[in-house]
Amino acid sequence: MRVTEGMRYSQVLANLANINTQHEEAAQEASTGVRVGKPSDDPIAAAQLARLSASSSQTKAQLSTIDTVRGDAELTESTLSDASDIFVRLKELALQGANGGLTAEDRSAMSVEVSGLKQALLSLSNTRGTRGYLYSGTDVSTPAFDSNGVFQGNDQTHVVAIGNSTPTAVSTSGSDAFVVAGGRNVFADLDSLATALASNDEAGIRGAVDTIDLSHNQLVNARAKAGLILSKLDASQTVLSSLDTQQQKTAQTAGAADPYEAYTRVTTLGQTLDRAIAVSKQILDLGSTNRF
Amino acid sequence: MSSLTQLLYTARDSLTAQSYGLNVTGQNITNVNTPGYVKRDPLLETRALGTATTGSVTVAGLSRATDIYIERRELSARGSAAAASEHDNQLASVEALFNDLGATGMGSALNNLFASFSGLATNPNDPTARSAVLSAAGAFADRSNAIAGSLSDTKNDLLKQAQATTEQINQKAASIAQLNRRILAAQAQGEDAADLKDQRNSLLLGLSELVDVRTIPDDKGSIIVQASGTSIVDGTDTRALSVDLAADGSLKINADNGSGGSTEVTQFLTGGKLAGIKETRDVDLFEVANRLDKLVFDVGNAVNAQHAAGFGQDGVSGRNLFDVGPTLSDAARTLRLGAAVAGNPAAVAAAGDVASLPGGSDNAVALANVFNTALPDGRTAAETYGDIVGDIGQRKSAVAQAVETQNAIKAQVQTMRESMSGVSLDEEMVSLTKYQRAYEAAGRVLSTVDQLMQTLINEIGK
Repeated sequence: MRVTEGMRYSQVLANLANINTQHEEAAQEASTGVRVGKPSDDPIAAAQLARLSASSSQTKAQLSTIDTVRGDAELTESTLSDASDIFVRLKELALQGANGGLTAEDRSAMSVEVSGLKQALLSLSNTRGTRGYLYSGTDVSTPAFDSNGVFQGNDQTHVVAIGNSTPTAVSTSGSDAFVVAGGRNVFADLDSLATALASNDEAGIRGAVDTIDLSHNQLVNARAKAGLILSKLDASQTVLSSLDTQQQKTAQTAGAADPYEAYTRVTTLGQTLDRAIAVSKQILDLGSTNRF
Repeated sequence: MSSLTQLLYTARDSLTAQSYGLNVTGQNITNVNTPGYVKRDPLLETRALGTATTGSVTVAGLSRATDIYIERRELSARGSAAAASEHDNQLASVEALFNDLGATGMGSALNNLFASFSGLATNPNDPTARSAVLSAAGAFADRSNAIAGSLSDTKNDLLKQAQATTEQINQKAASIAQLNRRILAAQAQGEDAADLKDQRNSLLLGLSELVDVRTIPDDKGSIIVQASGTSIVDGTDTRALSVDLAADGSLKINADNGSGGSTEVTQFLTGGKLAGIKETRDVDLFEVANRLDKLVFDVGNAVNAQHAAGFGQDGVSGRNLFDVGPTLSDAARTLRLGAAVAGNPAAVAAAGDVASLPGGSDNAVALANVFNTALPDGRTAAETYGDIVGDIGQRKSAVAQAVETQNAIKAQVQTMRESMSGVSLDEEMVSLTKYQRAYEAAGRVLSTVDQLMQTLINEIGK
């Protein structure tokens, strides 16, 4: 085969361009740590990364949801705990008030404390969270109870998107906790005790001990349900955090470069490029007219 | 028996012939880097004068080292490589529109839209959360519009590029026809027309990068040039190619039929930049735009259906979050934030029923779950978008592979042509020396004859 100057130049150019391109790609991969920088680098991985990005976004949104609603759930559990504590004190007062040795003045003074505790309970039942009144159901702009303890909210549940498809309830019904039909109206029970104490009605006070117990149990049950919501959030957060970590690992595996392999490749290609330049010089020197 | 005078003539012929050889060698050296130049060899032959033997030499012309089959293969290979290269370049810009890895795709806009529904569910009564939904929905519509608009702009640009390319093809065809005319005239006068043929060669090489080219030489030195299945040059005549749009919006390549009309030759287009443009525009862009339209149409309608089922804070239901066109066509480019909700965060339907207002979140959760629900094609929005990204990557990757293959084939054929027709400076340096020495020797013959004749004249004069 005849070898011409054109062939020499073309060969040198093609070889250098080819190695330069490979070296540039390898250097890019090694310096960024990214193997898949565009869909054509690895179409299957790119499609996987796009889907993974969607799943990861959803996971992060759900984790954010948990973080946001957790505050209200904790506040609910905390206020119900405080309400429960109020009833512990109310029971103490009821038992003391039922003591036959007390005077009417003593009971009147206790009645004042009970009235104070009612105000505290009303205040707790109208606690505001990040999305509004905690115990108003979804009528979050309206206080759950008026000054007489009459429920003003609704029985709708606040649900959020956690998990794939089932809406998760994260609110506690104020009506269930404080004034449930068929259960106890804790404000009424508290009022009965206050009235009995104020009127020095020993029988009424004794009767109130039992109703205070029942109201207390109702609040304890509501607190337990609020605790279950928190537990559910904790469990979901654990699962989603683990899923988030796994998704990040998968994304890294699919799209990241192996640093050792990338560095080795860029070094090898750098050496190849040096050799190619040296050989190219020799090839081009072959065509030199100085030899004649 | 030859006389001294005859020997003088022989030396003169030799000087002329070696000088011609030096001239041709000089031409080869001069054009060592000229595209389309074909190495020339001087054709020297013994001069025959009647029946006498003179041993003289004459210049019979020059030969060009060509092979029509290799030249055809090179034209074909260049056409295929140019088509693949153009296809690859154009697809790179399409790929960039869907490169979420480089933060230019619409994946994040899609993800943010659904994340905003989750955010809304956490606090439906929060104006900020409601505004965030409108903002994310607007961003999704904007991104859809931008990508679809870019695809549409690219289609329009490619139409203009195709038209500009056919103009270049027609100009080159006219130049080739002009050269055919000059070559015919030169050869009719007994000239070799090598320079003109080289110029025509160079034009053919350029033409082959614009459109598939096949040449058919005739015995008078002219050539027929066929492109896209039609003879765009036939001797000294040309037929112009033109581009317009077919009824379906695809590129339509026409060729003048010589009688004032035109004939469609689109289906015969196989190579060159024009083929790469057509492939990108009418296959890739068409399919990608359709898939994007379908995704946006399905997502928009699925979100709308769920949104319309819910209630805004004003107790109104039945409002769409997006304005989606009635058909798939152009859905991505025309998607807008719904007129009934734009600028009105309270209209975002987070509640599933009126009784749950203002903090009801059932519908917001249902909206977030649209993300996990299969669209009419049986795939979720994220899966479908991933499919589109993968498809574009696959197309670009396959074309990049084709570019490598076609360039390798082109390089191989060019090597064959270069080996046959290219200039080797080594050879030319040898030729230079060969003709120089022969010229010097002929000069010595002339000098010797001169001395002999001088001797003869001097002796006779004594």
